[in-house]
Amino acid sequence: MNRSLAIVLGALALGAAVFAGSFLAARHATILCCAKSADDLSWLRDEFHLSDAEMARIRQLHEGYRPQCAKMCALIAAKNAEVQAALGNGTNVTAEAQKALADLGALRAQCRAQMLQHFAAVSQAMPPEQGRRYLAEMNRLTLTEHEQMENSMSGDTGHEHHH
Amino acid sequence: MNPDDIKLSKLLRQSRLSPPLPPRFRENVWRRIEDAEAPAKPESWFDVLAALVLRPRFAYATAAALVLAGAWLGMRDGMQTTRLDAQARYVALVAPNALH
Repeated sequence: MNRSLAIVLGALALGAAVFAGSFLAARHATILCCAKSADDLSWLRDEFHLSDAEMARIRQLHEGYRPQCAKMCALIAAKNAEVQAALGNGTNVTAEAQKALADLGALRAQCRAQMLQHFAAVSQAMPPEQGRRYLAEMNRLTLTEHEQMENSMSGDTGHEHHH
Repeated sequence: MNPDDIKLSKLLRQSRLSPPLPPRFRENVWRRIEDAEAPAKPESWFDVLAALVLRPRFAYATAAALVLAGAWLGMRDGMQTTRLDAQARYVALVAPNALH
């Protein structure tokens, strides 16, 4: 019985090692292989089955949007620094800080609108069904998840947040 | 056969000394025959499994199946990870963190 137990346990350990080894090796090889050929837009091509012509159009839109997006990010970062400076170490929210916060909110809203416009433009460069799927996916990834986080926070604290 | 050969063979057979048999030789032989003819003790399922595991054909087939299953699942997992990474990279480019 003891000998049989040792044999069965040894076989199980060996089997687990063989399985784990081949799993990890294949996973590593696949990640290395796919990461080599991936660029910033490879996800779009693979996920929405886009042709070269559609990808060329989307790449053009993407290249046009990137500088605008970077500019907005720089403005938001500067305004954020302004808010921090206005808040300072004081215990009151001054009028200056309130204005800076309102400006920051406006900038973020502008940035978000610009982003949504870009999503719409990209979706129009795709076949209609894929375009709808792209919009839904981008909304889920950029807006819905953020809203869910806000909702969960408002649920936890019992406060209502309206944006 | 030559009659001389027969004679020679007989002489050779007589000259060969047979060693003395060990004590209770006959009894031991019969006991071993009886043991061999007796039905084998029933083995537990664990012993059966151990015996199966030690069979080369079973061991090779199991190892091959495990390698194939591991490689297939690893490839699937790798593709999924790559897909999520690529998605995250794209989203980070078009939806800056400054918005959150």
